[in-house]
Amino acid sequence: MKKNIVLGVIGADCHAVGNKVLDYAFTEAGFEVINIGVLSSQEDFINAAIETNASAILVSSLYGHGEIDCRGLREKCEEAGLKDILLYAGGNLVVGKQEWAPVQKRFEDMGFNRVYAPGTSPQVGIKHLKEDLQII
Amino acid sequence: MTLQNKRLTEEEFLKQRQEILTHWPTGKDVDLQEAVDYLKKVPEHKNFAAKLRKASEEGITLAQPRAGVALVDEHIKLLQYLQNEGGADLLPNTIDSYTRQNRYNECQVGIEESIKENRSMLNGFPVVNHGVKNCRKVLEAVELPLQARHGTPDARLLTEIIHAGGWTSNEGGGISYNIPYAKSVSLEKTILDWQYCDRLTGMYEEMGVEINREPFGPLTGTLVPPSMSNAVAIIEGLLAAEQGVKNLTLGYGQCGNLVQDVAAIRTLVEQASEYFKTYGYDIELTTVFHQWMGGFPADESKAFGVISWGAATAALAGATKVIVKTPHEAMGIPTMEANAQGIKATKQVLNLLKGQRLTMSKELQAEMQLIKAETKCILDKVFELGKGDLAVGTVKAFETGVMDIPFAPSKYNAGKILPARDNNGAVRYLEFGNIPMSKDIKDFNRQLLEARAKTEGRDVSFQMVVDDIYAVGKGTLVGRPENK
Repeated sequence: MKKNIVLGVIGADCHAVGNKVLDYAFTEAGFEVINIGVLSSQEDFINAAIETNASAILVSSLYGHGEIDCRGLREKCEEAGLKDILLYAGGNLVVGKQEWAPVQKRFEDMGFNRVYAPGTSPQVGIKHLKEDLQII
Repeated sequence: MTLQNKRLTEEEFLKQRQEILTHWPTGKDVDLQEAVDYLKKVPEHKNFAAKLRKASEEGITLAQPRAGVALVDEHIKLLQYLQNEGGADLLPNTIDSYTRQNRYNECQVGIEESIKENRSMLNGFPVVNHGVKNCRKVLEAVELPLQARHGTPDARLLTEIIHAGGWTSNEGGGISYNIPYAKSVSLEKTILDWQYCDRLTGMYEEMGVEINREPFGPLTGTLVPPSMSNAVAIIEGLLAAEQGVKNLTLGYGQCGNLVQDVAAIRTLVEQASEYFKTYGYDIELTTVFHQWMGGFPADESKAFGVISWGAATAALAGATKVIVKTPHEAMGIPTMEANAQGIKATKQVLNLLKGQRLTMSKELQAEMQLIKAETKCILDKVFELGKGDLAVGTVKAFETGVMDIPFAPSKYNAGKILPARDNNGAVRYLEFGNIPMSKDIKDFNRQLLEARAKTEGRDVSFQMVVDDIYAVGKGTLVGRPENK
């Protein structure tokens, strides 16, 4: 059975191109993509995950406010009963060119399972998601 | 209010204005007559419209960066650096994304966190929260004209504040700040809201203050065929002109093929001028060329290559100004040093090419004819759908997919068309969706893409589009298959 995943761009961010490419790539890779699109709130992600019994939430942020927008997402997932849902984040997550390791740590501390640096190919995320969901 | 392409009456305008100025406390500091008095005292070298006119007369291309941070003093420091160290000719105030969605409470959080963390937590200058006084503080701290650059579907309060604050140019439009920047705001609403912004500009003009207006040319910035972006630019120009805008800069985002890019800028000027004349508008028209708006190489030296190619194309096309990218583009928002580097690289190329233009050739002429014919197919249908009313026609054109912008987030956009590059890197239509092009045009686009597919030993497909989206970031213009 296909695994459902929720895909979207968080906060006040309207970058749509990568979102459409990720939708295409993850669909091609055999996932059922529930794409909630740009300008999506944490609640939009969580509601979509609950409604579709999703295995993972993939959060994109390209505009630099990712740090503010992603805070508390893990806690809200817990409250909503999404106990062990996988949370991935990627894009240009912070304002400006910053050293990557601390940025990754900041997002991991927020409860993200995987955090991706700018310019990561969709194939990397697909490989990890298959590993994390134990799909061979 | 019913949408039509007609100048707002004073009564309609003032009724909206009363409400708009209450949307955030800083609105109460806007006083139109006091603002006009202030703007009349702003020296001419800080007026955007005047500076563009001078550049146009001299036949030179001006360089303008993008820049904005959360706090006023930091923002001033940034702009002064871009002016003094970078050598910018015009200065921007890039507005943060919360302001663009009218979320002023979240801006306040961003401002407070920026103070606490001692780094900008916002991706731009939250101008509405800072208000008129701080806009003037910024203007008085620099020696160049100021513009607001944003992406705000409802920019009415923002527009009131920036102009009262002495900034003499505003980017945006009812289509170009909706379809690429919003998910669920109707076009009726954004066209009406931008009629308000344009009417305010018109009122300043009537009171003796020149204000420049710039529709946002590149749209989604990703493989937008020139005829579609030119059609949008011409429509937004006509809608602005109806509200009394006099000084207009129409824009276009670099696609990457020199002949196509030069053809796009030249046809934009020629066709827009014809439409302004036909509809009886007296417009001072200039152009802006945006350096590559798609994905950039992460390597800074490679990024300078992309930046310089954009600068060269802008100069050879004869654009009045060029919007500059930075070596940090792949990573997000640049430091002020990286931003200045982008301007310096650009100005070096602009200076080298000063006075040079791409000369007319058979290829350039053919490309211009094609863009004009495609643009006319779209615009004719828009006027027909609106029964002569351009505003109504535009809404219907998006409803029916007659106008359609690739990769746009808006649900009011059909999203049926697909672009891809031909063998020479020019952007063509792969899927036309419901765009009403003639059979000749459709066949010609298809033929060019089939030729590329043959070269690459594969079929014309969506994979080609994906490859093109990533190509420049990986170092080529055309996204060839990797095993080739």
